[in-house]
Amino acid sequence: METATHNEVSGGKRLASAIAFLFLGVAVVATVGFTLHSVSKESQPKTYATVNGTVTVDGKELPHAFISQSVFPDDASARANNVNRTNTHPWPFYTDSHLVLPAHSVVTMTLKVYDGGEELNTNYFAKVVGTIDNMMTVDGQQVSSLPPTEVQHTFTLHGLPTSTQEPLFVNVPLPKVQDADMEKNGSHLVVFSFVTGGAGEYVWNCEYPCGDGTYAKFGAVMGQNGYMSGKVSVVNG
Amino acid sequence: MSTSTKSKDVARPVPNPKRSLITRLHMGTGVVVGVILAAIVYYLLKKSLLTYTDGAADPLSPHDNNILLLGTMFTWSIGFMIGIGALIGPWRWLVGKDLTDEEILYMAGDGQGVKRYFKYCTDHKVVGIQYLVGVMTLLGVGGTMAMMIRTSLARPGAHFVTPTVYNSLVGLHGITMIIAMIIVATGPFGNYIMPIMIGAYDMAFPRLNALSWWVLFTAIPVLCSAWFLGGIPTGWTAYAPLSIQAGPGMNAFIATIIIFAVSTAVAGMNITTTVVAMRTKGMKWNRVPIFVIGSTISVALAIPAFPTFMVSMIMTGLDRTYNTGFFDANMGGSGWLYANLFWIMGHPEVYVILIPGVAALMEIAPVFVRKPLFSYNAAIMGFAGIAGLSILVWAHHMYIAGWAPSLNGAFMVTTEMISIPTGLLFLVLIGTLWRGKPWMKLPMLSIFAFIWDFLIGGITGIYLSDVPADGYLHGSMFVTAHFHFTLMGAALTGAIGGLAYWYPKMTGRMLNERAGYISFWFVQIGFNVLFFGMFMAGAEGQPRRVLDYAALYKNSNLISTIGAYSVGIGMIILLWAVIHSARHGKVAPMNPWGAKTLEWTVPYPVPLTNFDELPIITSDPYGYGKGK
Amino acid sequence: MANSSDHNAEVLTPTPGERLTHFFARRDVKRTTVLFFLWTALFVVLGLVFYPKWMPEIMSKEMKSAESIMIWFTVISAPIAGLVLAIATNSFMDMHRGDNPPEDGPAIRTHGPIVAVWTVGSLVFALVAIAWGLIEVNSQAVAAASDAKSAITVEVTGSQWLWTFNYPAQGIETHELNLPVGVPVIFDVKSADVNHSFWPVQLGVKVDANAQVTTVIHTTPTKVGVIEVKCAELCGLYHAYMETNGAVMSPSDFNAWVLAQGGHTA
Repeated sequence: METATHNEVSGGKRLASAIAFLFLGVAVVATVGFTLHSVSKESQPKTYATVNGTVTVDGKELPHAFISQSVFPDDASARANNVNRTNTHPWPFYTDSHLVLPAHSVVTMTLKVYDGGEELNTNYFAKVVGTIDNMMTVDGQQVSSLPPTEVQHTFTLHGLPTSTQEPLFVNVPLPKVQDADMEKNGSHLVVFSFVTGGAGEYVWNCEYPCGDGTYAKFGAVMGQNGYMSGKVSVVNG
Repeated sequence: MSTSTKSKDVARPVPNPKRSLITRLHMGTGVVVGVILAAIVYYLLKKSLLTYTDGAADPLSPHDNNILLLGTMFTWSIGFMIGIGALIGPWRWLVGKDLTDEEILYMAGDGQGVKRYFKYCTDHKVVGIQYLVGVMTLLGVGGTMAMMIRTSLARPGAHFVTPTVYNSLVGLHGITMIIAMIIVATGPFGNYIMPIMIGAYDMAFPRLNALSWWVLFTAIPVLCSAWFLGGIPTGWTAYAPLSIQAGPGMNAFIATIIIFAVSTAVAGMNITTTVVAMRTKGMKWNRVPIFVIGSTISVALAIPAFPTFMVSMIMTGLDRTYNTGFFDANMGGSGWLYANLFWIMGHPEVYVILIPGVAALMEIAPVFVRKPLFSYNAAIMGFAGIAGLSILVWAHHMYIAGWAPSLNGAFMVTTEMISIPTGLLFLVLIGTLWRGKPWMKLPMLSIFAFIWDFLIGGITGIYLSDVPADGYLHGSMFVTAHFHFTLMGAALTGAIGGLAYWYPKMTGRMLNERAGYISFWFVQIGFNVLFFGMFMAGAEGQPRRVLDYAALYKNSNLISTIGAYSVGIGMIILLWAVIHSARHGKVAPMNPWGAKTLEWTVPYPVPLTNFDELPIITSDPYGYGKGK
Repeated sequence: MANSSDHNAEVLTPTPGERLTHFFARRDVKRTTVLFFLWTALFVVLGLVFYPKWMPEIMSKEMKSAESIMIWFTVISAPIAGLVLAIATNSFMDMHRGDNPPEDGPAIRTHGPIVAVWTVGSLVFALVAIAWGLIEVNSQAVAAASDAKSAITVEVTGSQWLWTFNYPAQGIETHELNLPVGVPVIFDVKSADVNHSFWPVQLGVKVDANAQVTTVIHTTPTKVGVIEVKCAELCGLYHAYMETNGAVMSPSDFNAWVLAQGGHTA
């Protein structure tokens, strides 16, 4: 580069070098892509709902699918309260992130919830919306909403409005475990059912502000995929 | 040498520069000192923060974690600058001595070959090459992220990456490209070519020149660290309060901007002073090459603009660390305050990016059309008009913010007025083309691409700046397509034209023409397909910065992704040509294009002080043409 | 652009008419003229065809006004774009190849009248754009004031990452935005957390949602149909999914929907 002597190479060599460089460049970009993709994939193992029998809703007989998961508090409060968990995270989490549900079915979801809670940012999410009769059962009791100050997390399912899939919206507030009960590894059992339409891709997230120490408490865990959010795939067959 | 500061009255022994500390410092020592100091500060800060919170909180609270990370990042930057020897000069000066002439000559990199590119080198030509490599690296990184974004958007359903990764890609692509584009022309060409163009021995402040590059260099690892700290969710605009809510990666963004603002302030002051004070004899203002005028207006515009970005980032940092509440409405602050500070920087900034690219093409046009630049005065009025108006238009980014609806009309007036000086830029270019036979070389080709791309960017800008249309288009993909047409289609095309034009002077060899053409068509066709798809998606109603979209937008997004891959391939070919030709290209004559500006009167390698004897200028460099 | 008197000024002084005839008889001028019409036509077609084809259904006056600006500004800029591109294309077609530069062209340094006409022309163009915009802005403001009495109010809250809608007069709260056709509506928009931007796409209006302050936007749905509500300001993890369904419905359908939601009609 410093000396201006002739250093030219033959046309063939130049072409080979250019093609090799092009492949190298594409390979580098592709490697970055695969790395990002595989890093992203890890947090999304799929959990399938199991169909067991049928159930009649509004006069129609539909397959009945069941899915259950747990909601655990963050590491520190779990340790302090001896909550038994299948796996550990520094943050509160739903055990399953990517849910796969059958289309045109009644899905009954059972949530065992262990976390404490405070107040919602938006009170609307204290209402049960989108389940059958807009109801859920908490420890066997039928409930249509919770006081906005008594919520631990919410399971809020929604999707993009588009002509190619039916709208699906479910909001279920989860009752908080009272501080005194937390110490005794207390929990609530929440059960609710909703009807799925045709196949489609949706998401769910928690609307309870559980990212402590951040603005509106929606940072930290709320900004990460897979703890308090995930996908919902409604599939045929 | 104009740079030496001799203090004759202080008698002192002259140290052999070979044994001076300066000779032992380089990028490697900078990294070592930077990392060690950063590690020490990290350890001490963490320990004291844990003590401060009674040792109970491990991991630290988000606020304390932000203090820890920001402290570590700034320490790295300062440590690197100490380690590379940036402070030797100021220190000597402080204690009443100064660098010896030998040391000054050593710092200019005299006779040190490739090594000087890794040192605190004051030679403007070395700094120019450092900037060029830096710019290409940043464009490569930002371009790779663009490929990731487009891959992710190739089909609906968010199959490729998670939202966290996607949002980080969007934000880091944005800021990487913005930084790269701000320095893309004024960095390499403004440093390497411009001092020769005005007939100067070097820049006005050679040590500040080295400082501006190496400070910028320290920002690059800081920015990259954002990836390993959980990314940024905010996009490059970093709107508060989302930035206050954001995770630890946001600290990397804040530190990068603050460091970068220091670098641009230093560089801007240096370039402005050089052009004002160091033009050679006879180079009156009306004989200054238009690229010099454009670059100077651009950096002079950056001088008042960037401090507001720096201030907004300092305030964001304080909100995140000490909960100061500048931008937190719940504490009496305002997100609108951030938006105002940001766009007071943000709109001048797009012209800081655009003007040097256009100016480079205006420098090129007369050479290849063999005609004088059409209406030099209109070109200057165009640049000056844009620069002047650009500081009065910032709130057109906030028409729909709800901040001051009654001001929308006023900002619409100033914004639409920018089409007048912008029109002058077109006039200068087409006036120069008229009745000429353009010499079809790579730099010339860029001019045609620029005219098409900037026209599309300009027309779509006209309706984006009209309030009712913005009510629909704001925040949609349409905006993304519009500003890529201006920043990439216009400014980057201009910079690539400049690279093809000045490459022989910077490397001594010609850029491989065939590879250049192939790259050009891959990039330009791909670019137009890419952003045609994005205009379509935006008009159809797809918001910006979304990871997933409804099936309605699948065609437009697929078109965009195909175009993006074509741009990517073209850019890789260009990169090959730039690297390969630097070693194996055809050896360039002193003045391969037959141009009349001063940089073509010096040989390659350009001597340390550029000219043995400063030239005297008697006319502007556009005296082409028959008749008159 | 350059005048032809360069060549024949010494021979005799032609009349302006003759000069014009001369000018348009030149090969490059002819070609540029043809190119000018081609490029202009292309831009006119682009504006008239693509935007109406791409943009969603027009369901309010504001949407209509946004689309007309996009279409007609493209059409009125078409001659300017046409001229610039015609000159560029003409020049491109005259290209010189080879390793040596071409002969020098004419030494045209500037042309006062052309620069003056161009500058004044772009000023006029800018003023048209400004006037158009100001008239639209004003008429929307006037409409907002006169419609205020008959309008229904919807309080819109953006939360990460969902919109919720409160209809105070109807006493209902929902996650879907349904509106009666022909009735002016005032959206009072706020945020529960970070900035969002409320965008009922087919209604062509948009306003940011901020914490602690209420921003207001006004429109009147003019057509029954589906609307999509989106967030147009990056708001974190699930910004992309901060979208919801909505509809503009006949007043009777709207009332039925309100009652079904447990609300009351006025």
